[in-house]
Amino acid sequence: MLSFIIKRLISGLTVLFFISIITFFVLRWMPGDPATLSLGTEGTPEKIAELQEVMGLNLPWYQQYYHWIQDLFSGDWGSSYVFGEDVMTLIIQRLPVTLLLAAVSMVIVIPFAFIIGIMSALFKERWVDYIARSLMQLGDAVPQFWLALIFLVFFASKLGWFPVAGYVGFDDGILASIHSVLLPAIVLAIGQVGPLIRIIRSSMLSSLEQDYMLMTQVNGLPKTLAIVKYALRGASIAPLTIIGMQLANMLAGAILVENIFALPGIGRLLLMTVEQRDLILLQGMVIFVTSAVVLVNILTDICYRLANPMIRFGGNHE
Amino acid sequence: MSKLRQHKLFSLGLFLVLVVISLCIVSFFYLPQDPNVMNTINRFQSPSKEFLLGTDQFGRDILSRIMISSRYALFIGLVSVFLGAVVGIVIGALAATANGWLETILMRFIDGLMAFPGILLAMMLVAVLGKGLWNAVIAIAIFMIPVFSRLTYSLVLDQKNQLYVKAARSYGASKCRIIFKHILPMILPRLITQFSASIGSAILIESSLSFLGLGVQPPNASWGLMLSESRQYMLTYAYLAVPPGIILMITVLGFNLIGDAWNDSIVSRRMAE
Amino acid sequence: MKRFKFIFSVLLVSIILVACGSSTDEEGSANENSNLDSTEQKEESNTVNIEKTELNMALSVDPDGLDPHRTTAASTFQITSNIFDTLVTVTPDGEIDKDLAESWAISDDGLTITFELREGVVFHNGREMTADDVKYSFERLKDEESPRSGDYANIAEINVIDHKTIEFVTDSLNVELLSNFAYPWAAIVPEEAAEDLRNHPIGTGPFKFEEWVPQQQLVLTKHTEHYDPASLETVNFKMMPDVTSQVSALQAGELDIIAVNGDLVGQFEGNPDYTILENRSNSIQLMAINTEHEALADQRVRQAINLAVDKQALIDTVWWGYGEEIGSHYPTMLKEYIDTNSVLSYNTDQAKALLEEAGYRDGLELDMYLPASYPAYVDAGQIIANELDAIGIKVNIEIVEWATWLSDVYTDRQYDLTVVGHTGRLDPYDLLARYHSENGENYFNYSNQRVDEILTLVQEEQDDAKRLDLYQELQKILAEDVPALYIQSPITLTVTASDVAGYTSYPIDIYQMKDVYFTNP
Repeated sequence: MLSFIIKRLISGLTVLFFISIITFFVLRWMPGDPATLSLGTEGTPEKIAELQEVMGLNLPWYQQYYHWIQDLFSGDWGSSYVFGEDVMTLIIQRLPVTLLLAAVSMVIVIPFAFIIGIMSALFKERWVDYIARSLMQLGDAVPQFWLALIFLVFFASKLGWFPVAGYVGFDDGILASIHSVLLPAIVLAIGQVGPLIRIIRSSMLSSLEQDYMLMTQVNGLPKTLAIVKYALRGASIAPLTIIGMQLANMLAGAILVENIFALPGIGRLLLMTVEQRDLILLQGMVIFVTSAVVLVNILTDICYRLANPMIRFGGNHE
Repeated sequence: MSKLRQHKLFSLGLFLVLVVISLCIVSFFYLPQDPNVMNTINRFQSPSKEFLLGTDQFGRDILSRIMISSRYALFIGLVSVFLGAVVGIVIGALAATANGWLETILMRFIDGLMAFPGILLAMMLVAVLGKGLWNAVIAIAIFMIPVFSRLTYSLVLDQKNQLYVKAARSYGASKCRIIFKHILPMILPRLITQFSASIGSAILIESSLSFLGLGVQPPNASWGLMLSESRQYMLTYAYLAVPPGIILMITVLGFNLIGDAWNDSIVSRRMAE
Repeated sequence: MKRFKFIFSVLLVSIILVACGSSTDEEGSANENSNLDSTEQKEESNTVNIEKTELNMALSVDPDGLDPHRTTAASTFQITSNIFDTLVTVTPDGEIDKDLAESWAISDDGLTITFELREGVVFHNGREMTADDVKYSFERLKDEESPRSGDYANIAEINVIDHKTIEFVTDSLNVELLSNFAYPWAAIVPEEAAEDLRNHPIGTGPFKFEEWVPQQQLVLTKHTEHYDPASLETVNFKMMPDVTSQVSALQAGELDIIAVNGDLVGQFEGNPDYTILENRSNSIQLMAINTEHEALADQRVRQAINLAVDKQALIDTVWWGYGEEIGSHYPTMLKEYIDTNSVLSYNTDQAKALLEEAGYRDGLELDMYLPASYPAYVDAGQIIANELDAIGIKVNIEIVEWATWLSDVYTDRQYDLTVVGHTGRLDPYDLLARYHSENGENYFNYSNQRVDEILTLVQEEQDDAKRLDLYQELQKILAEDVPALYIQSPITLTVTASDVAGYTSYPIDIYQMKDVYFTNP
């Protein structure tokens, strides 16, 4: 097990290295440079050249990359051109909003996906299954930003069920805070639910067909008990394999959704940094976001490894 | 029973996709109005005989703009997935047949690409390459690479241990020959399924990019762009957001259904074997 | 004429609304006497609601930091004008008034200006402000890190006479010298806080900086020791990029003040719960033309472009009629303004003829760049492109991010056409200086000998009448020579909850919160 973890960590680090290379080069090729931007409509060529020197933008690329990596490891992620704040400070400032958004939408998605997924597996080829699968298909196909727009106008503006003015901090009470991200969380949830239902349904179906399910029938165990005890356990670890992907999807959705709902989270900051060419901040955020995805992938891989033999063991035990 | 249902979903998907394709084909021969001509006196018109789906903020015919947009959606969807699939399959096959460091580097690179939340990578690439049709195609193609690489990689690894590959190898067939002559034909159905399922998400990404102003540029029309333009009129003329949203959803749904039904039939066929 | 009627009727509506919103008749009549500036005055008869002292206002974008000496962004000065004071200030009518300076004297040769400072002014950190702080602030404004240093290069010496008296000696005569001390970037800052003014500004202004969470909110609280204390205790600026959200939030009572577009103002018209404020502004919006482009160097081509565009229809479509058509680079509200709209008025036949005469009978292809962050300019650009298409000029539109616009279009001047706005300045010279062929901000690449001459002359001309003539001549030259297609001087629309009073708009782009208060219900 330990060697698996070490191997997985090493491969994770290699992935991070590639991410840093991709990010660094993509961002260096961007047109429009930050020196010009910070001078705005007052920039003269001389002033811009001066500022470029101060910002280290005229060094050769490998030196810039080296300095950047060095700084990343020493915990100095630089500071944003636009806000003048530490990159880390800004990320930590934004993180709670996106985490809350993701958490709330997960809280909506998981029970929903489990119920629908399991029901449609149990009642395969019956109307429950058809409805579940149609919902799943619709959820996959509806553009999230469109849904966000429609929901914003209908539920927030017209009906006034949700606030439109963005995020409410924890200081004003956790419920108010959750309420302020509920509508966008629902939108995100609708986009997430399809893949989850699919994987729960298929793993449920396959564990229903497993030998040990047959065994339980032979042993005279009531069917519901058998489902809860064995099939469900098998089905519940399957979603682990796609959690990393779901997280990436959710962050991608957050870029659009946070922007429409004016939520001050990571996604909105990301869009702004791309628009404003805030290179240092963008690099920091990309590294942060992708590292999070990679890390979650490693963790879920390990968890899956840990959970899998146990299930097999439990099955054989009967 | 199962076949019939799949057939039903497949036909529904096919029907939806055919609707969009015919909109696209018709647009080359006939458009109700010139989609780019502005007539500000006629703006924000409700659907009527002259303007079947009404007019937008510049008085342009919404139906014509939707028809013209279908060209971009289908073009970007097909071409970007095709390019992404070709590159992805090559990388995946290469990684699966090569051993040691090349395999590691290729797959970690693919993992690295995969860790970027989709739209972010596309946004970064469009920002570097500049906006426009082809750059959007390239950005989406790059986004599509990892899916195909991983699928090919695992499928090829799977096949490598199959008897027929071992047999071919014992005949002394070259690696290249084994891949193209033996393995590729075997895994092609799965790849085609993935291809059709990916078109839907490619079209979604294109519309997201256009929504953010990074895809198709005005005054050209694209569903995402039309939605983006409707944004500032959501309180006064929310209707503007309805037609492009629905056609976008129909298109994506159609391609997804086809891909799914296809996939199911492959899986069940294999199970039957 | 139709246009005027429209403005008038809208004005009437807003007067009625103002009258509905308050309980007194005097206010209604006061507004009738004022011109289009339907700004509200602080009425003695309106009782101040002492219970309600927290105001929420929406902003579309975050400020570019809060250090007034280190940015040129309008979004910064809109806010910092509340945190910092300047030596002199500008009234809503554009007059110079005292602020931190009690009085001032200009020497006979016009080269030296001496300010007597107000007694007992303290910074938000509790320390008293003295002449040394003023000297420090202007040195900071002049140093090379300051984007405005060029504007203040003229100041050769700053002498502290005593702790409340300071003298500025300039190199050459500048008749508009005083206005340079009124701009929000001429803010007085304490040296000990200078390191981090960007994120933690400390000034002498009526509001203290409390908190700024980018893309979320910026909070100011009352500075009780200010010489003219504010009524409000707290001002929350909420960052909301989407106009739809802003309108909904105002309707939900989550906001008290928002700026709106012409199409959304209808959501509030006739509703007694809201007050609509219309203000002419001294900013202008135009389509710049790169006069170094082969075809665009020809005056006839530029004139053809001007003739091909129906400006009034453009204003009606994009700004819903809220704007005043202009023919030159000059806002209508300033006293030097002359009407140049008739120099080249909409005439497509004439446009085609001119284009043909210039040798472009077979048409012409141009690239237009539009800044993505300004939807109105993007819309206007598309409509103009559509109209130019009708006279045979094919326009390729590219929508670029603000960053790209600044570097490629504004600084590198790599463009043919672009639609953009210029914010207002207090003095005509600052407004027009960019047309000098040597000026670094002349992104039109415009070069006209007479214009250069005028821009040199006006700086030293002390006779008001002669200066006025020069400025008017310059406006006429620009109208005829078309270095840009001048579109409009916008009318800004602000909607407030009806219990908000004292919100006034200024000729410079600032949100002055000091005089704002809530009335009793």
